[in-house]
Amino acid sequence: MEENRVVVVDVINKISMKKTILLIFLLNSFLGLSQEEKSDYKKRVLENTELDIISSYYAQKGENAAVTGGIGKEKLSDIATNIVLSIPLNEDNVFTIDATISAYTSASSSNLNPFDASGASSGEEENDDDDDEFDDKPNKSALSNVIGSPWIESSGASKGDVWANVNFNYSHSSKDRNSIVTANASVSSEYDYFSIGFGGGYTKLLNEKNTEIDIKGSIYLDTWHPAYPTEIHSYLEVEGDLNDGFFENVDILNENGNIINKNRSNAWNPFQNKLIDDKGRNTYSLSLSLSQILSKKAQISIFFDVVQQNGWLANPMQRVYFSDRANYYIGNASSIPNYTSKNNKDVFQLADDIERLPDTRLKIPIGTRLNYYLNEVVALRTYYRYYYDDWGITSHTANIELPIKISDTFTLYPSYRYYTQTAADYFAPFEQLVSSSDFYTSDYDLSEFNSNQFGFGISYTDIFTKRRIWKFGLKSININYSSYKRNTGLKAGIINAGLKFVMD
Amino acid sequence: MIKKIVFALIAILSLSSCAVVKEYEKIYLNDPDMLLAARKIKKFDTSFHVYREAASGANGGKSGGGCGCN
Repeated sequence: MEENRVVVVDVINKISMKKTILLIFLLNSFLGLSQEEKSDYKKRVLENTELDIISSYYAQKGENAAVTGGIGKEKLSDIATNIVLSIPLNEDNVFTIDATISAYTSASSSNLNPFDASGASSGEEENDDDDDEFDDKPNKSALSNVIGSPWIESSGASKGDVWANVNFNYSHSSKDRNSIVTANASVSSEYDYFSIGFGGGYTKLLNEKNTEIDIKGSIYLDTWHPAYPTEIHSYLEVEGDLNDGFFENVDILNENGNIINKNRSNAWNPFQNKLIDDKGRNTYSLSLSLSQILSKKAQISIFFDVVQQNGWLANPMQRVYFSDRANYYIGNASSIPNYTSKNNKDVFQLADDIERLPDTRLKIPIGTRLNYYLNEVVALRTYYRYYYDDWGITSHTANIELPIKISDTFTLYPSYRYYTQTAADYFAPFEQLVSSSDFYTSDYDLSEFNSNQFGFGISYTDIFTKRRIWKFGLKSININYSSYKRNTGLKAGIINAGLKFVMD
Repeated sequence: MIKKIVFALIAILSLSSCAVVKEYEKIYLNDPDMLLAARKIKKFDTSFHVYREAASGANGGKSGGGCGCN
C-alpha cells in the first residue's frame, strides 16, 4: 500500500515537473518571440510624407551686361517656386520629387536683338534657320528709326524666359541604418537649353554614427538651342551681303558717324564666320564628403568635388568687342562719342564676335562646414570654400550664420557671406580684348571681383503641426532676405518664403 | 594642391579618434540648426550664386550642369 502511494506521488511529481518545464518552455518561447518582435521594430527613415514649398523673388541691377559686351543695362528679375514631395515607400525607402519653375525678365538678354527698342522688329517670318524664336528682320517701314542701345531694354522675345526642372530621387537605407544608397534623374528645359541628368550615391555611417562618408557621381548631358546676336546671325544668314536681310536699307556707321559703303571689302563683318559647331555641353562630377562629430556640441564636414565639363561652354548670346578692329554702329551718329554712357539711348555697336571659351573646364572646389551649439539660444554655423579651375579662376567663399532661438517656436537667422574670385584668363572689359586671342569674353561673372551678402531670416516651427490644410499639417514657415553687392557695381536682392507640411 | 587635400583628409580622419558621442548624447547635435548643410530656404540663394559667380560646388549640392550658367 505504502509502495503504491510512493509510486502515485512520484507520477504526480513527474507530471508537475513536465508541466513546469512545458510552462517555462512556453513562457520562454513567448518572451523570446516578444523580444524578436521588438528587435525587428525599426524607426522608419521618413515617418510621413513631407511637402516643402519655397518661393523666391530675385532682382538685380548693374552696368556690365554680357550680352552687350560688358557694358549696358544688367537689370534682371526672377520669380521661382520649388516644390519637394518626399514619400516614404516603406520603412527603408524614400522617393522624392523635386520640381522647380523659374521665370525671368532680363534687360541684358532682351538686347540679343537691341533694335527691337525702336520697334524695328517686324514680326515677318524670314528664312530664319537659327534655333532661336526671335525675329532678326527689321521693319522696312521704320528703317530710318532703326536704333538700339545697350542701355535700353529691348522688347524682343528674348527679354524673358522660363526655366523648368524636375528631379526624381530614390534612397534606400540599410536595416542597420548605417548605409544609404541613392539614385536620381533630372530633366531641365529653357528656350535655349535642354538638360538631362542622372546620378547615384553611397553613404556609410561609422563609429556609432559619429563618422559619415559619402560619395556621389553625377552626369548632365546638356544641349544648346543657340540664339545669337541679331547682327552676327543675320550676316551669316545672308552670306555677308550687307544689302540683304536684316541689313537691307539699314545704314551702318563708322567711328566718325559716317555712313559706310557696304560694298567695300573692309565694311563691317564678324571676326569669325563659324558659330556653334558642337551644341553639346556635358558635365561629369564626383563628390566626396566626410562628416565627423567632434563633441556633444560640435560637428564638421569636408566636401571635395571634381567636375569636368566638355562641349560648348561659352554662352552664344554674349557679344565681344575687340580693341584691334574698327568699330561700326547702327543708329544715331551723334550718340557714338557717348556710346559707353548711360545717356546713349539710340546707337548700337555691331559685335565683333560671340564669346569664345575653351571646350573643356576642370573645376575643383573644396569646402568645409563647422557647426557649434553655443547654448540653448544660439548656434554657430560656418562655411568656407576654396575653388580652383583650369580657366585661371580661384575663389574663396566664407559664410557665417547665427541662429538665435527667441522662443520655442521662433528662430532668427542673421547671416553674412563674403566671396572673392580672380578673373578667368580670357576675360577683359569692353573693347579691351584682342582678336589674336584664341578665347575671349567680357562676361563680368568671369571677372575679378568680390562681393558681400548680408541676410536675415525668421522661422516659425510647430512640432505638433496643429494648423492643417486638408491632410497636411503645417510644420514650419521660413522667410529669408539677402542683400548682395559686388565691388563691380552689381547689386541684387533675394527674398525667399518657405512652407513645410507633414501628411498624417 | 594635392598635398593640401591629402593633409586635410588626414586631419579630418584623425578626428575620428575623438571620444565617441553616444546616440543619447546627441540632443544638441540633432537640433535642426546643427545640420551640416545649407538651410533649405537658401536654395535659391545658391542658384543665383551659381549664375553670378564663377565658383560652384563643394556644398553638398549640385556642382555644375543642368543650366546655361557658369
